[in-house]
Amino acid sequence: MLRASRSLLRPGGRTAFFTIHPTPGLDPRLRRRAHHDGPVAVASHLPNRVLLERAGFVDVEETDVTAEFERVGRAWIEEGDRHRDALVELLGADEVETRRQERCVQLQAVEDGLLQRSLLVATKPIDAGLR
Amino acid sequence: MPTEEERETRRKFTGRYGEARGPVVEQVERAVIGGDWGASGYTTVEQADHLGRVLQLGPGRRLLDVGAGRGWPGLYLAVRTGCDVVLTDVPLPGLRLAMRRAAIEAAADRASAVASSARALPLRAGSFDAVVHTDVLC
Repeated sequence: MLRASRSLLRPGGRTAFFTIHPTPGLDPRLRRRAHHDGPVAVASHLPNRVLLERAGFVDVEETDVTAEFERVGRAWIEEGDRHRDALVELLGADEVETRRQERCVQLQAVEDGLLQRSLLVATKPIDAGLR
Repeated sequence: MPTEEERETRRKFTGRYGEARGPVVEQVERAVIGGDWGASGYTTVEQADHLGRVLQLGPGRRLLDVGAGRGWPGLYLAVRTGCDVVLTDVPLPGLRLAMRRAAIEAAADRASAVASSARALPLRAGSFDAVVHTDVLC
């Protein structure tokens, strides 16, 4: 997807994105747990910066936003609990519980130091041409 | 060719984006991320505004949001900054809601939606000033 982004950008254009990823340096067992507990597909084995540079981006900046990730994850659970009855009426008890469980598992993985969230900003070189 | 995990994710989000969104869902979203744009992830309004600044969005600039869901944060950024936006995602229900919101926000002339996988976006090379996505690349 990063290569596609680079192709679609004009020379000098920028990409900025948030991404959830395993904490760098985990041993294989903990990495598997990060993959299991994280959202969708916490799959990449390479650092974000390397992925962006391999895709042809320059001036890569990475900012750790894990603390805010943890705060927001906890807030989803707490607000969901606060409005549980109305949410159950709207979505059904099973769905509300499934989502709560997903968020709790992810939050636990963050608290255990297995998952991080980062903001990446990078630029397509001005002399890159259209491809 | 999508993997089984991708197909499962597609099924899950197609269902979730299309479900009813009562006032309580918006109330929860406002309390957690600070807005009511149909977000269910971890990007707050404050963080979306930061994206707008680092991407130098404004009138005349063209933004691509990959995996836009119901339009968060790409449509919000278009409304907030005046830029043009193309929203892409696979589930149609989210994109439909996003375009409905674009009309409500008087931004329909600056917003368009493309139902496509990020693997093969049918868009012209070199045609965007900025690309954004939030927790799509994991």
